[in-house]
Amino acid sequence: MRFFDPHIHMASRTTDDYQNMAAAGIRAIIEPAFWMGQPRTNVGSFIDYFSSLVGWERFRASQFGIAHYCAIGINSKEANNEGLAREALEILPNFALKEGVVAIGEIGYDEITPAEEFIYQAQLKFAVEHDMVVMVHSPHRDKKNGIIRSIDVALEMGVPPHKLVIDHNNEETVQSVLDAGAWAAFTIYPNTKMGSERMVEIVRQYGPERIIVDSSADWGVSDPLSVPKTAHLMKERGIDPVAIELTCWGNALEAYAQSGQIDVDELMQDAVIDQSLSYSDNSVLRGQQPRIDEPVKN
Amino acid sequence: MNEQITATLAQLLEPRLSDAALDFWQKAQREVAAGAERSRFSALISMASRHAKRVPLEPTKTELAACQKAVTGWSPQRWNLLELLRVALICTREDVTEPNFAEDFESLFVYADEGETCALYRSLALLPAAERFVWRAGEGCRSNMLSVFSAIALDNPYPVKHFDDTGWNQLVIKALFLELPLHRVIGLDERRSAELTRIALDLADERRSAGRAIAHDLWLCLDANHAERSRALAEQLWPEATPLTRSAIVLGLARAAQHTEVQRLAETESDIDVAHAIDAALGGKFDQQQFARLITNKSETEL
Ligand SMILES: [Zn+2]
Repeated sequence: MRFFDPHIHMASRTTDDYQNMAAAGIRAIIEPAFWMGQPRTNVGSFIDYFSSLVGWERFRASQFGIAHYCAIGINSKEANNEGLAREALEILPNFALKEGVVAIGEIGYDEITPAEEFIYQAQLKFAVEHDMVVMVHSPHRDKKNGIIRSIDVALEMGVPPHKLVIDHNNEETVQSVLDAGAWAAFTIYPNTKMGSERMVEIVRQYGPERIIVDSSADWGVSDPLSVPKTAHLMKERGIDPVAIELTCWGNALEAYAQSGQIDVDELMQDAVIDQSLSYSDNSVLRGQQPRIDEPVKN
Repeated sequence: MNEQITATLAQLLEPRLSDAALDFWQKAQREVAAGAERSRFSALISMASRHAKRVPLEPTKTELAACQKAVTGWSPQRWNLLELLRVALICTREDVTEPNFAEDFESLFVYADEGETCALYRSLALLPAAERFVWRAGEGCRSNMLSVFSAIALDNPYPVKHFDDTGWNQLVIKALFLELPLHRVIGLDERRSAELTRIALDLADERRSAGRAIAHDLWLCLDANHAERSRALAEQLWPEATPLTRSAIVLGLARAAQHTEVQRLAETESDIDVAHAIDAALGGKFDQQQFARLITNKSETEL
């Protein structure tokens, strides 16, 4: 089986993860911009981070045959550092229009403060102006209320519901997201929050339409193999293979391909390992093994 | 900007663009020529990806000759269409010699994604007063991204012209480490030195101590200095070397001006390909192109 993990923070993960992900069938990923686990202190820190998402991390992933896309945005937590967030907002256009940027995200609410609302709205405006998909992070506390508000504000700003992905859903929030016409993504965390078992039941109950499974693996305890593991559990528990394919591959692809930044035909083919080889041989090599025998030497 | 260069770029570019892409290019060209703001210029470079894909350019022989004529050493043979469009946009700037351009150009690097970064490094050799960007080019060589390093190090006439000795030697040896084809480092034939030879020979020792193979391309680094060490290395490797390796050694020894040694090896050589390499080397053919033909086993047109 082939998988798409549309929410994972690879900058915090190792090459072992990349190897295991590729081996488990993960063919494409989206890395949304987020918090680093500690607050940034200056705009240069945002610049270097965004730059790594469109450059270095993309290259790293390509060495393992994984297509790496990203979402650019100012996260809700750091929206509360108002001066810095406004500076970050100014440099956002420098990165948001790059090749392979499939959405503005992850953005939204954390504590649901006026400062968060300002940054959220400004980024929604940018997304609407540039016809982009929006990936919304939903708050951990007061989740249901936060999700309803983030949908309302997004629609008010003119984001069409089919270009809106609401992430980190649970049993309590899924219905309102689906009712609004948006995509409902679920983050599968080991131990806490949404586990694979609960995900199976959600797909059983709601069906596969506009439901997306992701790992949101980051620097915390999390599992970059959440998507394939959940797919296998779904299979074991008798979920229709078509529903598995949609929730673990097709839906995310459809949602984010609206950006025009995903070459779907190329994704359907075998992995292209190393872009530099396509320069050296003037053709795209396919199915070659990753260069994992030796690190990139400096 | 040199008109021959901009005309060559346009001739390469325009027949390969779709109607929509051609429209983007013509509008963008007018906008840039009229003096677009930094942010707008940067957005145009980014948005080029919406109009041209990373498809290989596959230039014809005539086109390659035109490039070579416009800028010595310039070969877009391995460029892709998107890179060409971006380079053409950069070369459309009317103010390329002004400080304002230099600032905008540097700012492009700061905000560039991987594909843009490669295009920017490929543009360097076409720009006037390009010595202004030598620090930036060095940054490209310090990159950990193979694609970025390759964009500055291979098929690019910029480094040989502008790098100091330290930068040049680092580029060549890093390319060797990365197992990139050294015959594509433009100007290596002309810019070998005692220091480069020593570094290459030290690297050979290091690899032998670690029990690891020595890349054929290492033999391209040698010049007539440290000849004793070069001969010793050849003698150590020769008994167990494959025919291909023996050809590389022969070429390296010729580059190190050790023709007597090559003649000595010829006496016992029975492999037809190696014998051919020996004849060619003794006949004075031991440049990068000859090496490429030998080692990659490709015909001239494929190189
Ligand atoms: Zn996240």
